[in-house]
Amino acid sequence: MLLFAFVVLVPSARGVYYAFTDWDGLSPDFSWVGFGNFTDMAVDPNARQAIWHTLVLAVAITIIQNGVGLLLALGVNTMIKSRNVLRVFLFAPAVITPIVTAYLWRNLLGPDGAVNSLLGTVGLGSWRQDWLGDPQLALWAIVGVIVWQFAGYSMVIFLAGLQSVPKEIYEAAAIDGTGPVRRFWWVVRPLLAPAFTINLMLSIIGGIKLFDQVYALTGGGPGHATDTISTLIYKEAFTLGEFGYSIALAVVLTVIVAVASTSQYFVLSRNERAAS
Amino acid sequence: MKIRTLAAVAAAVTVASLLAACSSGTNAGSGGGDGKTLTLASVDQGSIEDVVKAFEAANPGVKVNFTTSGADQYQQQIRTQLASGTAPDVMTVWPGNGNPGATYVLAKPGYLLDLSDQPWAAKLPDAVRRVAQYEGRTYNALFGLNGIGALYNEQAMQKVGLQPPGTWTDLLAFCKAATAKGTPAFALGIQDNWVTQLVLYALVATTVHAADRDFDTKMQAGQASFANSPWTTAMAKYQEMNASGCFQRNPLGTSYEASQELAATGKTLGIIQGNWVVALLKGKNPASTYVLKPLPATDDPASFFMPAAAGAGYGVNAKAKNKDLALKFVNFVMSPEGMKVFNGKQGSLPSLPDSGSAVDPGIAELNTFIQGNRTVPFMDQLWPNAKVQQTMLSGLQEIFSNQSTADKVLAAMDADYRSGS
Repeated sequence: MLLFAFVVLVPSARGVYYAFTDWDGLSPDFSWVGFGNFTDMAVDPNARQAIWHTLVLAVAITIIQNGVGLLLALGVNTMIKSRNVLRVFLFAPAVITPIVTAYLWRNLLGPDGAVNSLLGTVGLGSWRQDWLGDPQLALWAIVGVIVWQFAGYSMVIFLAGLQSVPKEIYEAAAIDGTGPVRRFWWVVRPLLAPAFTINLMLSIIGGIKLFDQVYALTGGGPGHATDTISTLIYKEAFTLGEFGYSIALAVVLTVIVAVASTSQYFVLSRNERAAS
Repeated sequence: MKIRTLAAVAAAVTVASLLAACSSGTNAGSGGGDGKTLTLASVDQGSIEDVVKAFEAANPGVKVNFTTSGADQYQQQIRTQLASGTAPDVMTVWPGNGNPGATYVLAKPGYLLDLSDQPWAAKLPDAVRRVAQYEGRTYNALFGLNGIGALYNEQAMQKVGLQPPGTWTDLLAFCKAATAKGTPAFALGIQDNWVTQLVLYALVATTVHAADRDFDTKMQAGQASFANSPWTTAMAKYQEMNASGCFQRNPLGTSYEASQELAATGKTLGIIQGNWVVALLKGKNPASTYVLKPLPATDDPASFFMPAAAGAGYGVNAKAKNKDLALKFVNFVMSPEGMKVFNGKQGSLPSLPDSGSAVDPGIAELNTFIQGNRTVPFMDQLWPNAKVQQTMLSGLQEIFSNQSTADKVLAAMDADYRSGS
């Protein structure tokens, strides 16, 4: 605990102090500005936009990634022959460094990239898009890349949950004449509650803190169309030298992560208890 | 549960603490050098290696420990190192103001050694000296000059049978003719937002600065603004170029790297860029040759100006461990021998007139403009803070994606300009 306090808590508290100053990250002189950085944030359209994008990304990634992950888990939990190969194949993107996949997708999603070429080849030329250059699409392209990479990760956690469901329960439900959908909803889903808790928690925290993929794919652009709180923190600190303001944004990010993860934990663990 | 929640909170708070960790200033970088080992941090990837080799050869027994990185990463790293007293002896420093690693920004808190009494300092041309100095003292060894203009791929031009346009009217006709031949005129990779400014700067040089050489002074005195100046004309011309098909489709989804590919392989007839891109284009297509011309912004070629300015140079850490060796290194960089290696490798022009370096024939016209005093520094170098440029860069992306208008962007730039340093 002492080590934790020394390594994490004390520097963090010191960091928070700078959120109330106009420190530029370089000069030894700075002044106390009270809540100035926070009031600036309230009227800064870029900050408001970044907070909104962060929430949209976190919610969309959490829902889609876990939805896809669950479907994949159900798919590879069947007795199909190639299930082991599929498991490895689907999990593979999750072990690649996110920045590498982001740069890869940046090329694939370019105007003359593989995605548009493929659409052209299969006769869907009218679907070709400027995926990362169109402000209406760019945020969703980021969601797509992250889901592509981490759906396999969610799948593995769900799969572990599915494999711990005793066979007898399945068989008993089948003997009682329950169809596959009802069997999933009434038998499997409650037993997967711990897997849901872990997956939702991980993806919501990951979604809120998202930085590297966004930075590599769009740099927060076009304009500020895909800026998240994390990319804005980086830009304010290291491009504009507004360290005080940047740390204030980091404090807000901390509060959002804490509130989201704590409340989600309470809700899901209550559901877990209800299910057990 | 308590521990888990605490851990989640702590993990996120670390973001704040990481930033805060940069604040603890020490004197770790001062004193204690052995006089034989120089530490150096540079952004001149691909050229500093040869300079270091030449310096080591000229100074037997001396070892240079150097690191290179991209500009974004470098600016982040150098600020942290300077604030914590762990910066290298010699480091890349940008001219003027306007970015986090610029002369004014680093000299103001006293991080750079005064180089005013070095032999080359008094010889710097006025336009270069202005951006190498802070409050009348020289802090930056600026060795090279770069310019922005229209770079034409000579083989691609030959293939379609078109000539570089000489006036604004010709330029629009050239764009249409190029499109008609299936090869767009210029590659534009504005997914990387710093690229957005280059066409605008090339237009502003003529539309704003050729007509009013004191525009910067007037801006500083509060007697001029972006929104009520020919900056509006330049913005309109930039958009007109886009509407006339001067650029390939989807420039917002095209990266700097991809734009180089287009220009180097003749999928466009050229690219509006700085001369530094020539080496990169030749790297992608060694057989290609390029010629740099001013981008026509009016119908009077005599009024054309080109943006040309000192590229990044080198500063000496005020707390350098090996001050003498550090000075020796920057003096080597500024010597005819050092400049020849550096500028030759980078494809830039030497900043000192008597360096004896040969000029690449492809950028001869830029040299003519410099000699004829028909250049202006890159506009951001004399702006009071980094925010004006960032507002312009993201604003231009917003204009291209119909999220904003030129008037709104120029007004926002004025507001940032007036907010001071």
